[in-house]
Amino acid sequence: MSDLSQLSFSSSRPLTLGVELELQLVSLRDYDLTRAATDLLAGLRYDDRFGEVKLEITESMIEVNSRPRLDATAIAADLDGLRDVLVTHCRLNNIAVCGGGTHPFHRWPERRISPGERFAFLNNRYGYLSKQFTVFGQHIHIGVTSGDDAIWLTHALNQYVPHFVALSASSPFIDATDTGFDSARLNAVSAFPLSGQSPDVADWAAFLDHMALLQACGVAESIKDLYWDVRPKPEYGTVELRICDTPLTIDRAVELAAFAQCLARHLLRTRPPIAPASQALVARYNKFQASRYGFGATLADPIRRRRVPIGDALRELIDSLTADADDLGCRKQLEQLRALVISERNDSAWLREIARNTGNLNDLTRMAAERFASPSSYRPNV
Amino acid sequence: MSTALRQGWEALQDSLIFLPPFPDQLDPLVLFSLLLVGGLIVGETLFRTLGLSRIVGYVLAGAISGPGALGWLDRETIALAKPLADTALGLLLMETGRHLDLRWLSANRGLLVSAAAESALAFLTIFIFALLAVGLSPGWSAATAAITMASAPAVVLLTAEENRAQGQVTQRTLLLTAISCALSFVVFAVVLGLLHAEQAGDWLNAIAHPLWVVGGGILIGLLCARLALIIAGRQARGSVARVFVLVSTALMAIGMARMLAVPVFLTLFMMGAALNLADRDRTLAYTGLPQGHWILAILLFVVTGAMLPLGELDWTTGVQALGLILMRGLAKFVGVVSTGRHDLPLDKRRLVGIGIQPLSATAIFMAAELAALYPEVSSQPLLLPLIAAAMMEFVGPQLCKRALQRAGETEPTRPEPAR
Repeated sequence: MSDLSQLSFSSSRPLTLGVELELQLVSLRDYDLTRAATDLLAGLRYDDRFGEVKLEITESMIEVNSRPRLDATAIAADLDGLRDVLVTHCRLNNIAVCGGGTHPFHRWPERRISPGERFAFLNNRYGYLSKQFTVFGQHIHIGVTSGDDAIWLTHALNQYVPHFVALSASSPFIDATDTGFDSARLNAVSAFPLSGQSPDVADWAAFLDHMALLQACGVAESIKDLYWDVRPKPEYGTVELRICDTPLTIDRAVELAAFAQCLARHLLRTRPPIAPASQALVARYNKFQASRYGFGATLADPIRRRRVPIGDALRELIDSLTADADDLGCRKQLEQLRALVISERNDSAWLREIARNTGNLNDLTRMAAERFASPSSYRPNV
Repeated sequence: MSTALRQGWEALQDSLIFLPPFPDQLDPLVLFSLLLVGGLIVGETLFRTLGLSRIVGYVLAGAISGPGALGWLDRETIALAKPLADTALGLLLMETGRHLDLRWLSANRGLLVSAAAESALAFLTIFIFALLAVGLSPGWSAATAAITMASAPAVVLLTAEENRAQGQVTQRTLLLTAISCALSFVVFAVVLGLLHAEQAGDWLNAIAHPLWVVGGGILIGLLCARLALIIAGRQARGSVARVFVLVSTALMAIGMARMLAVPVFLTLFMMGAALNLADRDRTLAYTGLPQGHWILAILLFVVTGAMLPLGELDWTTGVQALGLILMRGLAKFVGVVSTGRHDLPLDKRRLVGIGIQPLSATAIFMAAELAALYPEVSSQPLLLPLIAAAMMEFVGPQLCKRALQRAGETEPTRPEPAR
């Protein structure tokens, strides 16, 4: 166990992007989740050119990590390459890989914990929560040069958590039931004691003090134990956004990464005043609004003491990021998100519509898997 | 005791006019219940005390009660339970047919090579062993090979279900079992013709009988599958009505096969395969058998146990059957281990090679079909595959279970650490 008070922050090139996707492994017989991850990895013939493929907490999950990249186009190439590798190898094992924040009808007690010390530790610590944690998120890493910048950006991004939730929401169903939430996945995450917002610390030194306290009290042994919505990731030299549901397509995952990069650039460039303490007062409420109502959410603004429809806030925000998008070469991705906000048809809306049309959740999952298998339109030379 | 009871009963009939005649035979429902409870008790006891597969217990209960041991179940009683056993086997074979996944085979050609290798090697090895080492005629050697080459679909399916196994070893064991069944049914039909030619020089039946069996099985299977899809398509998705449609059309197929003297196992396997292949709208793709099919499965294995010719076991046949089992096992193991190396690690291929070893109910029912053709000459040559099946009834389920457990694909038996 390393001393968290001595944790050093590895500097990385500013605004480099990295994306992690947690994906579902489903049986082609009934499209339920199935125990497949270790078999898939054991038979994988792949040289890591697009990034890594890794186990996750249960055997019905697989995680893909892109390589650190400079822009969204390179991320698209990585993620689509990883998608292609997985789709091809899954076919050999008669399974399919699928996006979405939750599986619509799996029974969590049937999940099997993946092999490995870390997973055994989590299962031991969290009990049944570890199996219920079979939910699927997208994590976005943004490179920063210093620990102080990481702490500042973590706080600055915290107020935009609901925006990411509404844009990425893809988990309306749990236990074969329409939960009424656009992102029911977040309810599974919030059961963990170290979830939620990062503490209001001023800089990297204060953050290390906080970590030392957590370690001394036996609350956390590493950064990995903290399931905050946004957290610094010192070994990568990044700030990690962990709030998004895994989208149904690689295109949406790329758009979210582009949005995060533009937003981070805008924030770091303009350095607007931030008020972590005030934001913390409404953070849980705003996150609930976005996860419950998606684009229909109304956010609390503690600074101006007013309510703001999230659709208006998102349109305004995306418009303000246009110049950054042009500089970063991701205008197209941002335009797509703008259109998404106007249409109010996120992945949860698509899932609900297909469930209505097909009348059963097996076919819904089949169609979601087929949707995930389609190549990304952002991949270079496509 | 029985005579005294009868006399007492008949004496009472003079005064109690409502009494029926003394019941000479068990009512089928009483028999059903006795077989079920007996099988359950032995199966559960072996499972809890020794950790053996429950299937071993069911078979043991039948074998102990059967004509070869205590004789509680005589041949007439077994004949009475045959329709129920046919139903159980039929439903399980339909499920096996539904596992014949041609889309998977088309996506992974290596699996087709593995399936062809293990089935071909098993057939050839058993045929040569029966012909040269045991000295059976070519016709009966082929019959022995046809009966014993396939894995036992009921055992593999129920073992996977009982242990909630999920993973590549399980999936591939089920698929290879389904393919080996399909191939063994084709060989079985050819063997029917060979036997007619060899035993009676009857060329008309040598040609017509295999055609009747295969054609009849395919026709009934396709018709009932089509009927099931049409009726189920008119019911609400996910409704219990679809389960009823699936079960009732399967029962219809079983009944029609029995009426037309077409093997039930072949017909229902065809129906399952047709359901899998023709269901473009996925009408019944997500509809499974009700949990109650376990009850029928218990009955099947108890009856199968009672049908085992344990009373006719002698040293010579025992050693020959052991030789057959070893040769067959080796052939199937080598067939799987030496192929498909591109997408499954060697340790997993080994476990698939062990998982496909079971040999039981279908073989015994196939032997019964052949025995009915030439009863006067068939008992001796059919003893070899039947004794081999009898031995494997007790070993096969355990081997399959161990393979799935070693692969880490079964549900953990002890609760995972959680405080």
